[in-house]
Amino acid sequence: MALDEVKEIVESGENYDTDKEFKYVGTRPDRPDGLDKVTGRAKYGADHYVANMLHAAVLRAPHAHARIVSIDTSKAEAADGVKAVVIGTDLPEGLTGGDLHLQENTLARDKVYYDGHAVAAVAATSALAAKDAVKLIEVEYELLPHVIDVDAAMAEGAPVIREGEQGPTVPEGMHPNVVNYIEFGHGDLDAGFDAADLVMENTYKTEATHQGYIEPHACVGQLGDDGKGEMWVCTQGQWFIRKMCAAVLGLEASNLRVTPSEIGGGFGGKTTIFSEAISLALSRKAGGRPVKLVMTRSEVLRATGPTASTSMDVKIGMKNDGTMTAGKVVFRMQGGAWPDMAPTGMALNCAFASYDLPAVYHEGYDVLANRPKAAAYRAPGSPMAAFAVESLVDEMTRKLGLDPIEVRIKNGAKEGTKSSYGPTYKKIGLLECLEAAKAHPNLAEKLGPNQGRGVAAGFWFNHGGETSVSMSLGNDGTVTVSAGTPDIGGSRASVALMVAETLGIPYDHVRVNIVETGALGFNEPSHGSRATFATGKAAVEACNQAIGEMCRRAAKRWGIDEDAVEWKDGAVHPAGPNAGEFPPMTIKKIGQTMGRSGGPISGHHETTAGGVGESFGAHVVDVEVDPETGKTTILRYLVVQDAGRAIHPSYVEGQYQGGAAQGIGWALNEEYVYDDMGRLQNPIFLDYRVPVASDLPMIDTVIIEVPNPGHPYGVRGVGETGITPPLPAIANAIADATGRRLRHLPMTPAKVLKAIKNG
Amino acid sequence: MEITFLLNGETVRLTDPDPTQTLLDWLRTKNGLTGTKEGCNEGDCGACTVMVSEPGRITALNACILFLPQLHGRAIHTVEGIASPDGALHPVQQAMVNHHGSQCGFCTPGFVTSMAAAHQNGQTDHDDRLAGNLCRCTGYAPIIKAAKAAETEVRADWLDTPDFIFTEILRGGPEGTGAEPPTGPVCAPQTGDVLAAFYADNPDATLIAGATDVGLWVTKHLRDLPKIAFLNRCDDLKQIDETGDSLRVGAMVTIDRLYDAMQNRHPSFVEMLRRFASAQIRAAATIGGNIANGSPIGDTPPALIALGATLELRHRDTRRTLPLEDFFLDYGKQDRKPGEFVEAIRIPKQADHLKVYKLSKRFDQDISAVLGAFNITIEKGIVTNSRIAFGGMAGIPKRARHVEAALTGQPWAGATITKALPAFEQDFTPMSDMRASAGYRLSAAQNMLRRVWHEDQGTPANVLEVAP
Repeated sequence: MALDEVKEIVESGENYDTDKEFKYVGTRPDRPDGLDKVTGRAKYGADHYVANMLHAAVLRAPHAHARIVSIDTSKAEAADGVKAVVIGTDLPEGLTGGDLHLQENTLARDKVYYDGHAVAAVAATSALAAKDAVKLIEVEYELLPHVIDVDAAMAEGAPVIREGEQGPTVPEGMHPNVVNYIEFGHGDLDAGFDAADLVMENTYKTEATHQGYIEPHACVGQLGDDGKGEMWVCTQGQWFIRKMCAAVLGLEASNLRVTPSEIGGGFGGKTTIFSEAISLALSRKAGGRPVKLVMTRSEVLRATGPTASTSMDVKIGMKNDGTMTAGKVVFRMQGGAWPDMAPTGMALNCAFASYDLPAVYHEGYDVLANRPKAAAYRAPGSPMAAFAVESLVDEMTRKLGLDPIEVRIKNGAKEGTKSSYGPTYKKIGLLECLEAAKAHPNLAEKLGPNQGRGVAAGFWFNHGGETSVSMSLGNDGTVTVSAGTPDIGGSRASVALMVAETLGIPYDHVRVNIVETGALGFNEPSHGSRATFATGKAAVEACNQAIGEMCRRAAKRWGIDEDAVEWKDGAVHPAGPNAGEFPPMTIKKIGQTMGRSGGPISGHHETTAGGVGESFGAHVVDVEVDPETGKTTILRYLVVQDAGRAIHPSYVEGQYQGGAAQGIGWALNEEYVYDDMGRLQNPIFLDYRVPVASDLPMIDTVIIEVPNPGHPYGVRGVGETGITPPLPAIANAIADATGRRLRHLPMTPAKVLKAIKNG
Repeated sequence: MEITFLLNGETVRLTDPDPTQTLLDWLRTKNGLTGTKEGCNEGDCGACTVMVSEPGRITALNACILFLPQLHGRAIHTVEGIASPDGALHPVQQAMVNHHGSQCGFCTPGFVTSMAAAHQNGQTDHDDRLAGNLCRCTGYAPIIKAAKAAETEVRADWLDTPDFIFTEILRGGPEGTGAEPPTGPVCAPQTGDVLAAFYADNPDATLIAGATDVGLWVTKHLRDLPKIAFLNRCDDLKQIDETGDSLRVGAMVTIDRLYDAMQNRHPSFVEMLRRFASAQIRAAATIGGNIANGSPIGDTPPALIALGATLELRHRDTRRTLPLEDFFLDYGKQDRKPGEFVEAIRIPKQADHLKVYKLSKRFDQDISAVLGAFNITIEKGIVTNSRIAFGGMAGIPKRARHVEAALTGQPWAGATITKALPAFEQDFTPMSDMRASAGYRLSAAQNMLRRVWHEDQGTPANVLEVAP
């Protein structure tokens, strides 16, 4: 997200009165999809079986960097059951920019850029036949030198991954792998550091981690020679799938109808395409037969997702009383072998977002490396930035003998603060979170030997984005909402609650459907913590439109002025002393008679949703470190976060706990491990270790509600902030327990043990 | 081959099924039962968990590494078949709805079936029962709450399969005594004798016990297995017999049954077995497989070597025994002739002082970086005997003979421990890989010996004590 975009979103927006009593908002009903999910009825990406369907398998490069000399597919094409084979040169030529990068990642054309890069694909009558045929494809490679680490990739003499990608802002003389340079800031940095009693700077590194959704990418694609096609797919955004597949294959977007399945987790990783376009290309080659493509777990880990790996310098000035006087960061981030996906800009914007600082300066470098094309991962960039900044703040706080929560309260951003990334904050809830954390019973727990406590704050912008929603009235007075944001965390329930509240009808009279691309205008994916915020906001406006129509119908029926009626508790009432005496006309009655009163009643709303409210949080973690093995055990974990308004508190808590759980995995265990040849060493769940139940305590949550005036019910997004503080909070707790500061994630037992031994 | 089993209460008979089709694939592609999910296809994530019953036993198993012939004589319940026939949700399903245990819901069917199996068995250590089920959305708290809430609900009697039903479904199966020689390259012998004859005649056949490893050869590495013997019908290989001085454990005894058998004998071994993979894998994997597989990081061999266990090998009608440590010759190489198989393991009875430590990055469901087993006998302050063995420190599970020599005959004292530490470098040259570096392995192994000493002195040092 560009800086000016962030400013625009924050600064636009309405001022809603959010200080009301609610009947449905804030309650905890069962989710509408709850039954489907516990009985196995919910249909996910791979659960779609259609007649005449073929199965795809993909050949992936075993090299980190190589030129493709030749590909011979003749044996595969002749194999039993094989109906189509595609390679990169089968895709249309002439694409540029981001579209070209998507296409190159879909199927390599001249070069493979990472271990796992797709090179060819087969469609056959069975999954086994396709997998067997893939083994018959012969590819000759010319190996090229590769580079994996972000610092190594910028260093003199590093292999050049791509030519001609360097952006105009990159300082002269930098390695061609540095493709973008960003710098911004405000205030007098030198004066800020001069005013400090303590100035410290350190370097921090984080490794790439994967979103780790349990559902592998899966789709069924069908495309005819006429360029018309359909797709069933697990995705966070069906319109993004449509747009990207159309671009990669040279199709007209409107000719492609994309239906989203239930989604088995995304966390940002399903906002883009990886091999979806392959299924369409194979289908077209196979005479339009539908082609199912389901990734294996190893394919998911090798070729989708991961987040950036980073190297970060931080410098902070602090007075003896804890007042922070200046902050500077220099971030280096690689997002794979294409220049689009390093989240450096967002990381810089997040770095000091929790603080009210007189002087800040940010510099960032986007770097290429021979790794998979990164995808968004929950608050992209923010967890790494927080690890660097919140670790150093903690280190300085300790050195000065101050309380980590008090220092954050003293310097915390609040309403009216000019944020580190530019805009001035409206109402925000950071200080409320910190105060609530301080008062929580976990803070009163005494710590024993080898135990430590860590605190960190976290931030995410949240996002509004392009949104289109419609609702329609049924002839029994129930309401159907068509939404375009796939439900990844309970958004159908939260949207239904807001619709019920707006219309004054029971929650279970509202059904929210996530619809295909032909049914609504363009919707951005469920990303940026926007689904409940933006889809909810548009759904409320759509309801208001329908309410207006229902009021008009009643007024007409009663023969009174349109202004003389009002909507209340699911019915039209005559309003004011001169309106006349009529019994309320209920939504049920209106639905029953709408055929005679003028036809179907619906409401719709299209917007690029403004009025976004930032979300801040504070985490407190207690750990115990085993001095003999270096193993860290989480004893207690507290998440405090500002939701603005918790529409469905259980799903807000679910987001807080889920974010913290992913952050804990990132902090302690998870990382991409490469061998000397640049091949990923741990592309299975047994070796890419996401936390299991016994790795986590019951994560405690506190929901703070500082309503966002830019949303009719005060909603801020809640999905992302929660993954931000765990990385530094755990590092700070380990430092408290052991006296050792770990500045390179993950903090595995081996690294902790080494730190304990070496001091 | 004929196989018969129950699927959600209905009898299924298959004649000559594809022997290496997995239950998961069969459920999804042949039956439209797509509730059972594929998350990893290698037994790590539990999204494919189904409930499997046999007489006297209910387990949760991973359908992705379970071949159809292994289902014979069992009753399978998938997520679609867990609710009551009258339509009411199973208590664990209702609890998952009420406690908002699903976010994306993709892992939910696997959790529901694991929880239903545990609920039937009255098992309430939910962290342990659910360690084989990954959830990436919730952080597990709502799921654990749901499992706890369901504890007090009555057992779902509709999920019980009476023994007479098992008898009945098996009655319709293959005729004969079970002693006839197999007729094809793929067979499911019903006794060890039949297996011995078949394997001696077909030494290139693959023996499939629990399929937790062989399953991956097929599903992941796409290997063709032209000749197979499925061992699941060999009831005589599933026996645990107590003799005067030892316990004879049949090769087909699963890890969860070994866990039960060791319960009152060697608590430290039992604690380690609790961390052996996950509940689903422990219910499928066998002791014979864990040994015969020859992995340098198998979790049971070091403990069994330390206990002085002997292996019973059989080739046709010839049986021989050898100390377990002598079975492992080199990485990927065992002292086993073509056509010879592990029939049983004999574990000597002794007073308990066995200490077993498993070190892995994650507490549950993880491969050991180092696994150490210490069987040290002390009489009147002197070490009179020591058997120490490690996994993860060499290409095979291996005894630490130099360390043993440095201890035996010496006074049991801190100074002896310190003097023995350098001997580790004579015994082991561990490798570095992504699980651990050579240096970490070596120092962790040394620390384990120190831990034995500290524990013996009453200093709390057990790795399990710092677990949540």
